[in-house]
Amino acid sequence: MIFLFVALPLVVAGILPLIGKISKKVLPDILTNGVFAALLALALLQGRSLISRGPVVETFSWLGEPLSLRLMLDGFSLLMLITVTLVGFCISLYSINYMDHYGAKANFYALFLVMLAGMNGLVLVTDLFQIYLFLEVAAVASYALVAYGLGHDELEAAFKYLMLSAVASVFIILSIIILFGLTGNLDFAGVAQGLKTLDAKYLVGICAAFFIFGFGLKAALVPFHAWLPDAHPSAPAPISAALSGLLIKVSGVYALARVFLNVFGLTPALSTVLMYLGVISMVAAALLALGQRDFKRMLAYSSISQIGYIILGIGLGTPLGILGGLFHLLNHALAKSLLFLNSGSVQMATGTRNLDEMGGLGKRMPVTAATTIVGSLSIAGVPPLNGFWSKLIIIVALIEAKHWAFALIAILASVLTLWYYLLIQRRAFFGKLNERWQAVREAPFWMTTATVILALTCIGVGVFFAATIKTWIQPAADALSQGVRVTLGGLGF
Amino acid sequence: MILQITLLCGVVIFSAAAVLLRDLLRSAICLAVASLFLGIIFFRMKAPYIGAFEISVVAGMITVLFVVTIALTKTEGDVRESRAASWAFPVFFIVFLIIDVMVTKSLLGRVPALESVPDRGTFGETLWKMRTFDLVGQIGLILASVFAVLALFRKRSKDE
Amino acid sequence: MNNTWLLYMAFAVMLLFIGLYCLLTMRNLIKLFIGVVIGAKGVSLALVATGFVKNNILLAQALAISFIVVEVCVVATTLALVINIYRQTGSLDVRKLTKLKG
Repeated sequence: MIFLFVALPLVVAGILPLIGKISKKVLPDILTNGVFAALLALALLQGRSLISRGPVVETFSWLGEPLSLRLMLDGFSLLMLITVTLVGFCISLYSINYMDHYGAKANFYALFLVMLAGMNGLVLVTDLFQIYLFLEVAAVASYALVAYGLGHDELEAAFKYLMLSAVASVFIILSIIILFGLTGNLDFAGVAQGLKTLDAKYLVGICAAFFIFGFGLKAALVPFHAWLPDAHPSAPAPISAALSGLLIKVSGVYALARVFLNVFGLTPALSTVLMYLGVISMVAAALLALGQRDFKRMLAYSSISQIGYIILGIGLGTPLGILGGLFHLLNHALAKSLLFLNSGSVQMATGTRNLDEMGGLGKRMPVTAATTIVGSLSIAGVPPLNGFWSKLIIIVALIEAKHWAFALIAILASVLTLWYYLLIQRRAFFGKLNERWQAVREAPFWMTTATVILALTCIGVGVFFAATIKTWIQPAADALSQGVRVTLGGLGF
Repeated sequence: MILQITLLCGVVIFSAAAVLLRDLLRSAICLAVASLFLGIIFFRMKAPYIGAFEISVVAGMITVLFVVTIALTKTEGDVRESRAASWAFPVFFIVFLIIDVMVTKSLLGRVPALESVPDRGTFGETLWKMRTFDLVGQIGLILASVFAVLALFRKRSKDE
Repeated sequence: MNNTWLLYMAFAVMLLFIGLYCLLTMRNLIKLFIGVVIGAKGVSLALVATGFVKNNILLAQALAISFIVVEVCVVATTLALVINIYRQTGSLDVRKLTKLKG
């Protein structure tokens, strides 16, 4: 059952080029969206009952012989699966219209499905090496997706992204090898057990540092963020949404949290490092976002800033902090992909991403303007939208843990975020309608549908935040906050 | 053991040569020779499968890919590497070598290591039964790179 | 046994250093990428050496095969990207790729 999350996208991706030869657009559209919808339904409906009695481990046997296909679904993995499939579904709906003028749509969908398979695989495995392997699957697919438009900017951004990402991957696998040498195991339980009984502070510290560098680069934490402001704006809009909303969270935040909280165990030193990284990202990226003129670049810097919030919450280590961080992960995925999709709508209608050239688009593109308002207010943290609750929980957790300075900085960064998002709103959508845009029309049907779904989800999660937290976020936070006990408890790990 | 250390030094020297040489084709050949030495090192470590894989794939296929790329991108004026980088390389290399030796010496005999589960069965069983999910990952990787190359080399249609 | 491990790891780290140096200082795109391939060699050496030392040579070979597949896929994608960059800009100089400011 759980294996479907990885197998279905791969199989459909494999046959898509053949189908693409028969039917250029309709069949690939239906197939891809069908895959996403099916997996989303599976995660939403079956997920809770599957994990109601503790994490589920699946092993397979084929032709009578037991294969070693150990997949583990616990609260944290389920939360990531729901985030990935929900946002991915809306992105693939959006691509029905947006990718029409890029050509080779079946190829695009195939790459996107492989990226989905990689991300799903990453959250479901129980083995350090397999985390690396599926991280690479998603990464290789994303390299091609960033360069998909084949323009000068896209190719340059893709090349820089590739080089930096390759360096990060090398550090990650080196750290895994050292851990294998020290503890003799690769799976979470074995490594956690080994690290508890071992006494090699120097080498384990080096491994932790390598992991922070590698996963921090994938998550785009400052000072490892240099690739993101180039890669995300240059990619086609649905891919920017997928990268900013999903990939940096799955291959960066999920892997970081899983390895540090469930395998290493969150020591005070580690917690301090993560919190400082989070705060620096939060503030530096927010300040850098203020000076941007390019719509998508501002959104890219905002992503770095919000990842800082998430890492701050998770790095805090208290159950409430982890809860806030994970909730913000879900909210940011929803809102940021919404904003990137809308930026694509604007770019398709006006041909520009420069905020100075836009103006008064709200009159001609009302749905886009409305959904952008919802997304912006959500990330800025305005009640009663979802972003407000997650930021509030993080700040309360900081105050509870007596980190007054961090809480104050978090509140100030929130104000900064609100400021630059209102700037976007004013420049792009309100004000006098620039004569150049007299003839623009609202975005096509599927694009608006996708953004409306995301906006409604933002509002819904915001209004029903208590129910959302209880159903999806709390099990995830529990899985993380119990720390090493989860892996050592032998709950099938 | 002495032979191993010689071969290891050979790998390092040929890799350094691949970085320092100006002609791209000669760099690719040096890379292939370094892979050959690495394959022999693997054979002597009682790892024949990976030795064969390394020689055939890295020294073979990757070198072919590099040569094809070099042939397809012959520029009129070759990119001049900065002289400073080439001259600075030995300096940094020696410095790093010294640091490396010092760190290794300080860690001698102080690396604790836990016993691991010993290998059971044959190599085939290990690959196909114990690490089956890796194969799913490999399929994903191959699909990703095939589609990537197809996407990057697609014919641009008129309305792009 | 552990001293053997340290010896192999020392060489692997040397290879990684050479790869990193190449990545940071070279100007030709293809040369720059050779750095990544050298780094991958260092990692495969570390992987097999660790397996050899821990008596897990079969497991290490299985892992190393997966790793080499990763390396080949990344190389193929990158070289396709480089060829496209050459067709777009006519040169392989990394200094010409400075339109985006990070």
